[in-house]
Amino acid sequence: MKNLLQNRISTFALMISVFFALFASTESIAQQKKERVRLNADYVKVTGKEHYLDIKASARIDRQTVPVGNIDLTVALVLDDEESEIGKTKTDAGGTARFVIDNFSALKPDSTNVYNLIVIFDGNDIFKKASRDVTFRDATITTELIERDSLNFISARITDTALDSALAETDLNVQVERLFRPWKIGEDYYTTDEEGHIEVQIPEGIPGVDGVLNLEVVLKESDEYGTVKTVLAAPVGDVIVDESTFDQRTMWSPRGKTPISLLWITFSFIIVVWGIFLYLFRNLFIIFKS
Amino acid sequence: MKSREQFIQDLAPKKFTKLEKIWLGLLIVVMVAGMIAYIDQLVSGLEVTNLNDYSLWGFYISNFVFFVATSFIGSAAVAILRLTRNNWRTPLVRIAEIIALAAIIMAGITIIIDLGRPERALNTIIYARFQSPITWDVIIIPTYIVASFFLLYFPLLPDLAILKEYYAKSHPRLSKWYGKLSLNWTGSAAQKAVQNRSVQIIAVLILPLGLILQTIDAWLFSSTYRIGWNSTNFGPYFISGAFVTGIGTLIVAIFMVRYAKGLQEYITESHFDKMGKLLALACLIYLYFNANEYLMPAYMSTVNEAIHLETLFSGHYSDLFWFVTIGGLVVPIILLMFKKGRKPLPMFLIGLLVVIAAYWKRYIIITPTLLHPYLPIQGVPESWRDYFPSLHEWLISGSNLATALIIFTLLVRYLPVVAIQRTMDETEEEMKNSKKAS
Repeated sequence: MKNLLQNRISTFALMISVFFALFASTESIAQQKKERVRLNADYVKVTGKEHYLDIKASARIDRQTVPVGNIDLTVALVLDDEESEIGKTKTDAGGTARFVIDNFSALKPDSTNVYNLIVIFDGNDIFKKASRDVTFRDATITTELIERDSLNFISARITDTALDSALAETDLNVQVERLFRPWKIGEDYYTTDEEGHIEVQIPEGIPGVDGVLNLEVVLKESDEYGTVKTVLAAPVGDVIVDESTFDQRTMWSPRGKTPISLLWITFSFIIVVWGIFLYLFRNLFIIFKS
Repeated sequence: MKSREQFIQDLAPKKFTKLEKIWLGLLIVVMVAGMIAYIDQLVSGLEVTNLNDYSLWGFYISNFVFFVATSFIGSAAVAILRLTRNNWRTPLVRIAEIIALAAIIMAGITIIIDLGRPERALNTIIYARFQSPITWDVIIIPTYIVASFFLLYFPLLPDLAILKEYYAKSHPRLSKWYGKLSLNWTGSAAQKAVQNRSVQIIAVLILPLGLILQTIDAWLFSSTYRIGWNSTNFGPYFISGAFVTGIGTLIVAIFMVRYAKGLQEYITESHFDKMGKLLALACLIYLYFNANEYLMPAYMSTVNEAIHLETLFSGHYSDLFWFVTIGGLVVPIILLMFKKGRKPLPMFLIGLLVVIAAYWKRYIIITPTLLHPYLPIQGVPESWRDYFPSLHEWLISGSNLATALIIFTLLVRYLPVVAIQRTMDETEEEMKNSKKAS
């Protein structure tokens, strides 16, 4: 009987050990099977305003590309094989993050005037470590509004900032800023001449708030310079007439802005009809008293 | 010529017969069953109904529209016939006035039943937005209730005074009540002058109020951008529909009251004949508006309209649609063309058919449209694509109808359904005229 009990205890202990061993191995397999994060980072410069990196994090899970949200990323400047952190950011639920470079002038390029940044993900329980290099040179687009023969033109010139040399044979987009996506003017793109210069006529009749058009000249996703954009506020558009009835008394306004005429009609109806009712009540009273 | 006593004897309210007691008992049972269902609805919320995000106006709103339409008889039969001095109306108007009052009271109650949280009905007043037809409805329904009350009450005063005297010895307590309600009516010249003036005013007022009520009811729908509702035709369409419903209800009611109270001498075959002609006219007008309402969208046949009309003409609701159109309008028109069709019993059956069809007409105005929104129904349970009232809705709606009938039955029990004083006056006048003529 004692032996039987001992055997049962040993069997139970063995089973527990096997279970924990299996559990531990599953855990370790799970740890080994961390997913790989793919990082993408595009440099964008808006002349006179800001410099930023548009970062995207994704992973290939179950043969599908899914965004990786809520991961912490570090952005560092690489100079002479040394990384110096310039800030941190975090991806949103869609796996995107925008890292604004607060003090661009403080960044130092290498000896060839190339800026070397790196976006680093340190890894977590689910994803492995990952990083992405971003290299770019600094370019500047200068713009000018020209009026000639009663026609308006936007003149733009793109130069390499460090070398102060014009960028010839470069494709630039000219577009008007709009709420959801910009509206291109004329051709899909304009190629700069030897002076790094383009000139594009601004069509008449483009509406803008107070007649001001925010004209954008954009070097888009260049391998060497990233995206460079310059915005010129030009008072050459048609003035948008604000047709909003938000502050007016309309049939579609909230109750505080009911049209006065409707209030008049309704209250007149109530007063007249219920006035007659009062008169009829009075008549009942007169009948009662007489 | 009958004596004053004979008139009063004939027209004074009588005790319930055994049959009437059974009728009232049945109505009370239905009403109580509905009240229990309503209490459950109050506790559990509207989930006990089959209403959903799409069929948000179901059976309850059909009831509401039906009651509103029925109440139009107050304006249609009473005011129009009174203002045009049609004396044949006299034995019918009181019943019409009672129907109008009972129906409009129940319309007001039904709309509150449709709210999952009835206390929020106050919000329609506290947060009233005057651009909304719902606010107009909130204004017009109480107004019409008061107007219907006056329409019933002013002409009643002389009769209540007569009943006070009549029951003074046999039923002193009842007599006391009649006395209080008669407001010390003595029939003096001053009282008569005030009463006549008041009746004239309310008879004129009830007509535009009735038209406004029906139109606002129609605008609740037509001001909504939905297939089958968004129509400029809807105001007159609803008014003509209410005319049919009201007259149909009145015919059924006068037949039953005539039979139950033994009023064959006062409500004659001639009255049924005239009401039959009026109903035929109302049905013809309504049929015309129906043709407008359905044929023009069918001619245009935009995709959504075509789908909606297909559901009505040959689809899911076709049986009901053709029943209300053929059974509720075409057949009555044909039958009412024959004199035999305008006899009391055929008229009762036709009236009943018209009323039943009129009720389901409201249902097919509301439900199929709600199930055909412009944006597709998706991402919801499959059952939401269709609507059929739940047991709670049936019980509560049945209770609504029963309550309206209880109000009607009790008013018919305690009020003279044919105006006593006016009948006596008219008979006297007729005698004088015939003497003069001879």
